[in-house]
Amino acid sequence: MEKIRNNAVVKKIGFNRLVLCGILLLMYILFAILSPTFLSYSRILSALNYAYFLGFLSLGVTFVIATGGIDFSIGPVMFCAALVSGQLLTKNEWPLIPCLVVSILVGTLFGVINGVLVAYGGLPSFITSMASMMISKGLGSVFTKTQSVSWPQASEANGWYRNLIRLKIGGIQVPTGLVILIVAAIICAIVLNKTRIGRYILCIGSNREAVRLSGVNVKKWEMLAYIICGMLAGVAAIFFVGAYSTVQPGLGDTYNNEAIAGCVMGGTSMSGGLASIGGTLIGVMIIALLQEGILAMGFQKDYQYVLTGVIVLVAVYADIRSRRRRN
Amino acid sequence: MGEVILTMKGIDKSFPGVHALDHVDLEIRKGEVHALMGENGAGKSTLMKVLTGIYSKDEGTITYEGKEVTFSNPREAQAAGVVIVHQELNMMGHLTVAQNIFIGREIMSGGIIDDKKMNEEARKLFDKLNIDIDPTETMSRLTVGKQQMCEIAKAISHDAKVIIFDEPSAALTEAEIEELFKIIRDLREKQLGIVYISHRMDEIKVITDRVTVMRDGGYVGTLITKDCTKDDIINMMVGRVIYEDPKTESTVPKDAPVVLRVEHLNAGKMVKDVSFELHKGEILGFSGLMGAGRTETARALFGADPKESGDVYVNGEKVEIKTPQDAVRCGIGYLSEDRKRFGIVVDKTVAENSTMASLERFMKGIFINKKKEDQVSQEYVEALKTKTPGVDQLVVNLSGGNQQKVVIAKWLVRNCDILIFDEPTRGIDVGAKSEIYHLMNQLVAEGKSIIMISSEMTEILRMSDRIIVMCEGRKTGELGIEEATQERIMHAATLRN
Repeated sequence: MEKIRNNAVVKKIGFNRLVLCGILLLMYILFAILSPTFLSYSRILSALNYAYFLGFLSLGVTFVIATGGIDFSIGPVMFCAALVSGQLLTKNEWPLIPCLVVSILVGTLFGVINGVLVAYGGLPSFITSMASMMISKGLGSVFTKTQSVSWPQASEANGWYRNLIRLKIGGIQVPTGLVILIVAAIICAIVLNKTRIGRYILCIGSNREAVRLSGVNVKKWEMLAYIICGMLAGVAAIFFVGAYSTVQPGLGDTYNNEAIAGCVMGGTSMSGGLASIGGTLIGVMIIALLQEGILAMGFQKDYQYVLTGVIVLVAVYADIRSRRRRN
Repeated sequence: MGEVILTMKGIDKSFPGVHALDHVDLEIRKGEVHALMGENGAGKSTLMKVLTGIYSKDEGTITYEGKEVTFSNPREAQAAGVVIVHQELNMMGHLTVAQNIFIGREIMSGGIIDDKKMNEEARKLFDKLNIDIDPTETMSRLTVGKQQMCEIAKAISHDAKVIIFDEPSAALTEAEIEELFKIIRDLREKQLGIVYISHRMDEIKVITDRVTVMRDGGYVGTLITKDCTKDDIINMMVGRVIYEDPKTESTVPKDAPVVLRVEHLNAGKMVKDVSFELHKGEILGFSGLMGAGRTETARALFGADPKESGDVYVNGEKVEIKTPQDAVRCGIGYLSEDRKRFGIVVDKTVAENSTMASLERFMKGIFINKKKEDQVSQEYVEALKTKTPGVDQLVVNLSGGNQQKVVIAKWLVRNCDILIFDEPTRGIDVGAKSEIYHLMNQLVAEGKSIIMISSEMTEILRMSDRIIVMCEGRKTGELGIEEATQERIMHAATLRN
């Protein structure tokens, strides 16, 4: 065990992340055995549909959690963005591109509000994001007059945005969304590990006072984490409607928990300072696979919640154990 | 000194990759105060942890009251009468003194905690020790010194026969140390065996009977305190000679320009109308008792805490410092007294900490230029002789002295001309201490200016060119090093008005 742990390659990737990959693989095999239809290509595509929007939410919230904060508004903010932009597209007949931009802007706006209140106003992130969760939920609803919004199908006019997640080339459905999500994750990883934003975000999460006393504008960098998170929630909205097309007002909270769960499973510490984009991505894949597997086996979604909860506990416990050993 | 109560012989302990204790001997007699000395990392704490059952030993024997014993946890050691008073106080601030003393073994009557009885018992205990503390007082309202007394009382209430003090004086004022010594002498009278761990050479001479010195996990020797000099002990600890002679005259030229002028600074209760000047190439010592407002002055000046009024001039120009950012922009760097909380980011690397204050200089476009960052950090690791396997090492794995050097490197990378060093050698071993002194002298020789806050008189007298003394938030004295003596500083430090 120690030997594997200290292997150079294993160290580079991270032991816990390898374990997570193992869990992912094991789950896949298990579902394939338990449910004969699970191996079909359409099931994979369906699982990926869930992974796209959740992935963007989870990537975003990773930045906030890295600062030691939390954002509970991402799910409803995503829905609010999808509702507002969808309303403009279908009822107000705006062209598609501006609507997609609006979706991202709505998400960003909530990120700015959260960021300013937390970083400059000194409000606890828990309370701030809970408030904006309710506000975004309500506003989305008000904007569409409590009607649900159905984005156009792929064959309809303005339906090409659906190609963002799935493109038909010569009769084969190519999961373009996966490519985009992975590219986005790579960009996030670069931002987190190679730029000033990421460096300061991680350091603020570890020891905010020490960073402040180094003459760093901690408020600005902390705010940026929330803005990135909000922006990615806006992007997530596009991928949500790309997969499911219909958005109902007044929902979205459950996706907060799943996005945060994915992030935490991947080894990002809730107390801040440590974050792994790769881990977050694997965590999201586990949740998506779980949800699809449970459905494939004919159970209700509620079982997925139970299992997600258990996996989160196991992952966090393993993480704390390994950290304690290191100290 | 009475008969031997405790003997540790040939104690050996290894951790993965580290031989922490290499056949160490220690003998404690009844009615003696036995100093255990050595640099940080010499193995003192490990030895005491082996004794009290926190670590298990690999080899060797412990004989206590004539019988060979092995304590498997601190509770067992406590029950047998071997207790340790930790450096960090383990007190619950919101409970009363008595509740703290009886924590874990509350006196009950009918299933309910009997506070009255506990207060009585605590009072009896304090009377026995001649400590003047009200058992019903809330712990957090006591001074650090009084809290320490409570910790000692708690240790003694376990019917202790051997008490280990792990750097008890680190956070105490001179007066409180005196009181502590009174209690220790009292305990010695009562024929307890006392182990006293401290870095302060003066205290060792005053309070202890014998000294055992350790170096790099090994046993160096045991001396009778009154037969040896400070230099003897230091030589045994480090294997090299260190001189702790006071400075006799200022090295600053008479016409050196003023780089920093502070006028009528006011901030909260702890900084009242403080004015001073700092010259180029000068080490300006800030002396005073704990709570005199020196740290608060530095923090207000640096913009870490808000100030109410006062003007700051850097190189003759008036500057507005509202945040640490402003201060850093003016070329001021602040080395905090509390390294772990305010100085370093412990779970980040040496390189990341070194460039923290000047990251914008290490950018290539939007990316951090890792190569340049590592290279510059490495330069400072070498210049400051920081002991680390590499710049990618997490700071948490370095010793206190080396962590301090990383913080200094942070400000040197930033090229700050005015450095505020707040207790720069607190919790640092003798060897690293002298290196930091050397470094400070080198910095002022290069034309930088240093404000040094220190609670150690020897440090103030050894390093400063000029000394400012504070008491209760006010500046109560200003002395050139030529005229400064311990007595004069103490006099100013207790000037209350």
